[in-house]
Amino acid sequence: MIRILLINLLICLPFMLPAQIVQEDGSTRDESELYASTKQVNQFFRRFNGEEDQKGRRFYEGDKEFREVSLRKNYITLLFDRENESIPSEQKKSFIYDVTDKRNPKFLDFHEEGWFAEVNAVFSRNGQEENILLFFKIQEEGKGYEWVLEQVSSSYYQQFFEKDESEEKPFLHPMSHELDFMNLHKSLRQENAVDFTADDFEVDPLSIFLYEMASKQIQFKTVTGSKFHFFQCEGWYFQIAEYNRKGYNSGWLISDLIPIKKEDIPQLKAFIYEAK
Amino acid sequence: MSFSLGAMAQTDDVSPQRKQAIDSLALEKVRDLSKYISIIGDKETAYSEANRVMDRAEELFAPDSEMGVSSLTTEEVEYYKVRKYFERLMALNYDNVKISWYDIHYISDLEKQPDGKYVGVVTVYQRFEGTSDDGLNYKDTTKKDITIYVEKKKTQISGRTIEFWDVMLGDIRVTETSS
Repeated sequence: MIRILLINLLICLPFMLPAQIVQEDGSTRDESELYASTKQVNQFFRRFNGEEDQKGRRFYEGDKEFREVSLRKNYITLLFDRENESIPSEQKKSFIYDVTDKRNPKFLDFHEEGWFAEVNAVFSRNGQEENILLFFKIQEEGKGYEWVLEQVSSSYYQQFFEKDESEEKPFLHPMSHELDFMNLHKSLRQENAVDFTADDFEVDPLSIFLYEMASKQIQFKTVTGSKFHFFQCEGWYFQIAEYNRKGYNSGWLISDLIPIKKEDIPQLKAFIYEAK
Repeated sequence: MSFSLGAMAQTDDVSPQRKQAIDSLALEKVRDLSKYISIIGDKETAYSEANRVMDRAEELFAPDSEMGVSSLTTEEVEYYKVRKYFERLMALNYDNVKISWYDIHYISDLEKQPDGKYVGVVTVYQRFEGTSDDGLNYKDTTKKDITIYVEKKKTQISGRTIEFWDVMLGDIRVTETSS
């Protein structure tokens, strides 16, 4: 117990110690807040993995402290958004225990599959602003890596794909082929074309988005925020977001955490892509 | 032209030692930029001198670099070409500009991009204080996330080919963190 307390103290001390900056108006700003902040997603990775000290100096493989379990436990405890009460503390403990388990520790890897970015972007359509979520993943390319567009989500697109599933739904009767589909002129003029699609039809918003960009129906304006989804720790899904606020709990922090079975991952991904 | 000391090895890999040398060089460039910003923003600086400093500052950057500016009040990011950003800063025309640095920086890993160049991000916190003679006082703390491009280049010196690592600044995202 005393050992744990000492380790906790050692972890927190450097955040507390750096000098307070006294400004000309007499107010102070605590430099330790800036140290404590998880300033980059890159730093989130390093802290999660236990690959740097409290001042951001890198530990490399072979260093005694590199990925040290107690360091990781303390760091990961600090990586949660403390204002978020929707993550039960028992769940956090269970997660930390699991990812730092000496027999099977779990780390994050920038280059591996299993994490992606969600970017909230603003576009202009006919002079009106519209939000579209863009999802990117890291991909090996050429001599290095790049972020590539994997999916998009737009409420504007969704309105065109509300399919009538009732028994009264419009249909093309099964002898339409004998009439050279002459009934199309009535159907497609009056009804929603999506009602004539097969049961296995799936909307591909990314293709629509690419078409709209190419045909200049929408123009990119700006990005208003981003967050990241992680599936790299087997048995868990978590999300990180950036919190720009005062205090020691700021920067890139875990904003959502749920235990998840491997077979449920595609469903959860689809849920995220549809921004539900 | 900048040389990263001790970084003259033949391979393209960035070892921890070489990364430290590159980090130092990147920070040096970021500090130069900070000094230039301070001079450009100060009303005492003559117009011709401000323009000369803007030219020097521009040389730190890779072509087409932009400043993305957001704040606590507007989440939307506004993008300015570096030169335009400097010109806007000059137009603010404070009687006195003080720019101080928190002794904090954070330098990301260097990642290789498809063209073989390395890219990283340096995060620094900067305190800006502008005062006008009429008593108006503007203060803020900005978090600057500065892209750095690292590339191995070759040059001929006295007939010998010398390899060196060059660092250029790229896009910068500026976020106002507090007043």
